[in-house]
Amino acid sequence: MGKKQKKLTPQQQQYQQLEQKHEIPRPVVKNCLKAFFVGGLICLIGQAISYFYIAYFDFTEATAGNPTTATMVFISMLLTGFGVYDRIGQFGGAGSAVPVTGFGNAVISAAIEHRTEGFVLGVGGNMFKLAGSVILFGTFSAFVVALIKTVLIMWGVI
Amino acid sequence: MKIYRLALFMLLILMITLSGCNQSEEDQESRLSLIKTTNPKPIKIPNKQNESIAKQVKKDVKKFDEIFDVAVVQGKKDTLVVYKVKHFQRFRMKQIESSVTKELEKKYPDEKFTVSSDYKIFMEALKIKEHMKDPKYSTTKAEKDFEKIIKLKNEQT
Repeated sequence: MGKKQKKLTPQQQQYQQLEQKHEIPRPVVKNCLKAFFVGGLICLIGQAISYFYIAYFDFTEATAGNPTTATMVFISMLLTGFGVYDRIGQFGGAGSAVPVTGFGNAVISAAIEHRTEGFVLGVGGNMFKLAGSVILFGTFSAFVVALIKTVLIMWGVI
Repeated sequence: MKIYRLALFMLLILMITLSGCNQSEEDQESRLSLIKTTNPKPIKIPNKQNESIAKQVKKDVKKFDEIFDVAVVQGKKDTLVVYKVKHFQRFRMKQIESSVTKELEKKYPDEKFTVSSDYKIFMEALKIKEHMKDPKYSTTKAEKDFEKIIKLKNEQT
């Protein structure tokens, strides 16, 4: 910051000082708390759904994760469609984006946004604009980890 | 406001349809084991074997500090040992499992153990215990259910 400030003209520096005086400080702690509680609430719902699958269906703790994720994504997709998830996102910030529900929101909101451009080039082409990188990154890193594990097993390390 | 109501309505429908699937009263106790300590008596399926092993195994496993609830089901070949781990010890779940298995195998070299800390397996083990109160519940049926639990335990995905 110091180096950058030196290059500014006196006028610009003056403006910056003025701007700093009037800028509303970002409520970082408050935002963090909100994100913490909203994210925690989403995870609580997920845990409840996971227990539901364990209690009523033939899923163990290890296998209940898959249907739970699917259900959470499905619910967040519905809520995005109804416009409720936007509000949650505005309130909770990262707390609503980091859990897997944020993934559903990213897919559906992009699909809704590009609806006017047609179903193929609009919805189909832009649906995975945001979430596509997540899927690609997840798949690729899983591949790399599996590769490392295979090599280690072949060498007899694990 | 209308949208909110619609969303709430959809969620309600979803909850009702999902929870309406299974309403049998008989499995109430086993389902409650998800949230409370039940401390069930050890059971064995064929009645001819010596009973002491299941009891002794339960005592041995309960000695671990990290474990608070143990269920033991002794089948024909296998002995199923299921336990619940205290919440803050759940980070060391794998370590605990291996140490329990080692201890049991050292103490009872002739027995074959299936060790698990899964809530679902715990519930199913309790279900067998509940069903055994019913005189109509035959040993072959119990054995079949037991095999099912072992299969469920080894399931990966």
